[in-house]
Amino acid sequence: MVTYIIRRLLYSIPVLFAASVLIFVSVTAVGNPLAALKQNPLFSTQTIHNIQQRKHLNDSLPMQYAYWIKDAVTNKFGTPLLQPGTKIWDDLKRVIPHTLQLVLISEIFALIVGVAIGVYSAIRQYSIFDYAATTFSFLGFAMPVFWLALMLQILFTNIFIKWHVRIFYTSGLSSQNPGGGIHFWIDRLQHLAIPAMTLTLLSIAQYGRFMRASMLEVINSDYVRTARAKGLPERTVTLKHALRNALIPVVTVSALNFGALIGGAVITESIFQLDGMGPYFLGALLSQDAYVVMAWLMVTATAVVAFNLIADVLYGYIDPRIRFD
Amino acid sequence: MHRSHFRLILGVLVAVTSLIVAGAAGGASKKASAGSVTFGAEQEPPCLNGFTSGCNNTWTSWTAGIALASPLIVKPDFTIRPYMGNAKVLRKSPFTVLVTLNKKAKWSDGKQVTADDLIFTWQTIIDPKFDIAGRSGWDSIGRAVKVNSKAVKFIYKTPYAPYKVQFSTSVLPKHALEGLDFNTVWDSNYNNKSGQTMASGPYKLQSYTKGQSIVMVRNSSFWGKRPTLDKITFVFRTNTDTEIQAIRGGEVDAIYPQPQLQLAQLRGQSGLRVQTNAGTTLEHIDINTGAGNSTPLLGQAWFRQAIAYSLDRQGMVKQLFSTLNPGLPILNNLSYVNGQKGIYVPHFAKYQISSKAKRLAKVAAIMKAHNCTKGGDGIYTCGGERASVRLGTTAGNKLRELAVEIMQAQAKDAGIEFRADSQPSRLFFPRISTNKYDLALFAWVGTGDPAGQTDIYGIGGGSNWKGYNSQRVTNLLKASDAALDPKARIKLVNAADAQMALDVPTIPLYQKPTYFVFNSKLKGLVDNPTLQGPTWNTEAWKAG
Repeated sequence: MVTYIIRRLLYSIPVLFAASVLIFVSVTAVGNPLAALKQNPLFSTQTIHNIQQRKHLNDSLPMQYAYWIKDAVTNKFGTPLLQPGTKIWDDLKRVIPHTLQLVLISEIFALIVGVAIGVYSAIRQYSIFDYAATTFSFLGFAMPVFWLALMLQILFTNIFIKWHVRIFYTSGLSSQNPGGGIHFWIDRLQHLAIPAMTLTLLSIAQYGRFMRASMLEVINSDYVRTARAKGLPERTVTLKHALRNALIPVVTVSALNFGALIGGAVITESIFQLDGMGPYFLGALLSQDAYVVMAWLMVTATAVVAFNLIADVLYGYIDPRIRFD
Repeated sequence: MHRSHFRLILGVLVAVTSLIVAGAAGGASKKASAGSVTFGAEQEPPCLNGFTSGCNNTWTSWTAGIALASPLIVKPDFTIRPYMGNAKVLRKSPFTVLVTLNKKAKWSDGKQVTADDLIFTWQTIIDPKFDIAGRSGWDSIGRAVKVNSKAVKFIYKTPYAPYKVQFSTSVLPKHALEGLDFNTVWDSNYNNKSGQTMASGPYKLQSYTKGQSIVMVRNSSFWGKRPTLDKITFVFRTNTDTEIQAIRGGEVDAIYPQPQLQLAQLRGQSGLRVQTNAGTTLEHIDINTGAGNSTPLLGQAWFRQAIAYSLDRQGMVKQLFSTLNPGLPILNNLSYVNGQKGIYVPHFAKYQISSKAKRLAKVAAIMKAHNCTKGGDGIYTCGGERASVRLGTTAGNKLRELAVEIMQAQAKDAGIEFRADSQPSRLFFPRISTNKYDLALFAWVGTGDPAGQTDIYGIGGGSNWKGYNSQRVTNLLKASDAALDPKARIKLVNAADAQMALDVPTIPLYQKPTYFVFNSKLKGLVDNPTLQGPTWNTEAWKAG
């Protein structure tokens, strides 16, 4: 197993190198990062010249790439285009934990509920519950995230206006004086609850469908029939024999989802004003800051590679038939 | 019930109850009566050093920027008044301005705000090493002479009429910043070299949590009237819908959003007060009179007048803002704005004809006088040229897109076709600035002072993307730039404006309304529609 992990990690190096080249080429292909500034009266010729010097924008593209990689490795991804006093990595270090908190909460809830719904739908195929779960899933897939987010915001605001009880906050990460320890975390949960609900409701639909399909395939297989024939209780057959194998596709999907979500649930985080990877990326795009965009893309690419590896390792634990050579 | 199920249910109940109890307590602690205000800021400053191009943003000066006072201040009525000091013309030749500072003015670290700070501010702004956002006026200063510890004479190389706007800029502390790289300093704090926060305004910066909030606390060294509130917290709420729910639900006490249609619902909300004014964002249509347009008709003043007559601007403004600001007037001057009493002359008012029949008759008369004939589709053709032009704006801006639709319909009724030509701003503005357009709806952000008009309307002006070519207007505006007598300056600018109302290189539309919403328990909050913004008088704010 250790050899396998080390080998996969070594494979990741050329993958990430290729990703860095692709990211640099695709972002620089969009155009000169100073083009928009030249139209902006707030940026004098002297200021633009200063930025060109700082960012080596007069050098050839390969040299610019080399400077960028050097900055990324030795200088915390360097600085944004216009704020030479800020380190990009310091900003990323700030926003990644915020995104992780949201993603962890929503993915865990979504997995628990989605898997449960999927399993129950499969073993009670064509029951009222199954039809209801299917309807809910289609609703979940079809529901625009911004609409659901706004509806939940309005709902909890109206609860506050009517009963003066603040169950959940509708935006932000923390109150002004949340206190320390447990008070801080309760306050944080009150802030993350609605965005987590938004993400969870959508993910439940996805995981529920995957789990149902996978479970249906497994419960009709020979070894499950054998387990039943041995006289094992239905609960043991379902949870120990069928579920474990049926989980593999869900693990793949959730690991890839998780990796991608490290890049931020852009819409959800932006609507709820959570200082995470999503709004950070959006801000960089709007201000056309190529250096921040490239750093964000590198971090996201790394997360996707890492979670792919985690998914592969998890297969071995879930299904002992899978071995790592 | 199974014991483990019971425990699970009990656990969930305890968690929900504790959230509700904590939440109720949290809600109570947010009330304005606690001596603090939570302000929902619609943008987060990119960084805090608002002097530099990368950090320059209105929300930088409206939030953390209140820590740094300026000699003069722009009041809500657009007049510029003494604040931490004063600025007066001493001599016309060479143009010399005496800037004095309040004798009590000191920094939050106890040191006096001095003449050296004023000179240091000038030297920093003109230093080419630094990425300064605006050097206008400062680069006209030839030398500075210290009169005493609280007064400096600035001697200009060339006269600079809007010197009062120039000295509405914050003063920098020399002792805190000398020798430091101004491009990188004050990125996330206003500290001096020993780590103390610097302030000359009513509040000083306590903390800046990126992505979340800026906390300002009372500056006990403030030279003016003692601020009442203990603390003002700016939290970033950049999404309009989120901002609305935050103020409805009492999560913030005040917001100052861009006018959006959804805000209308706040007017009827009990416990909230709404102030709205005509601001200094001047929405207008620029007309490309020269190369780059799609029809030579745009080069003719009579055709541009016909376009102006075809539009019912008041009707359009009513449709756009009937719920947000029912009384919003249209703009009828390109240099001055509604609210500037005795200065604002509505030269473009003649183009506003509210009666549709009379409006169409006026356009028809102009077209007939120039031998234009109406085609089967109701659009005129003049000398073989169809009266069809492109009208573009920044795609995605709902109000502007709606304005374009309304004006398309109005012009079509009058026999002129506006072809939609909107693009996202990143594509739209490069086209405008390279003269590749016919009609462009966008805005200039003004100050109420006509500084910069020569650049926009003068021959060869860097922002004269209209190809407007009036020697008379250029001469009048250039003369106004050098006119030191305010009355003479107003006269020159208005003479230029009267000429432009005949030539119609631009059609002024309206001043985008400001929209200040706050908890009605708060006192002393007064909207300042100028660039000084809603936090111009935080020392007067009181919790009810």
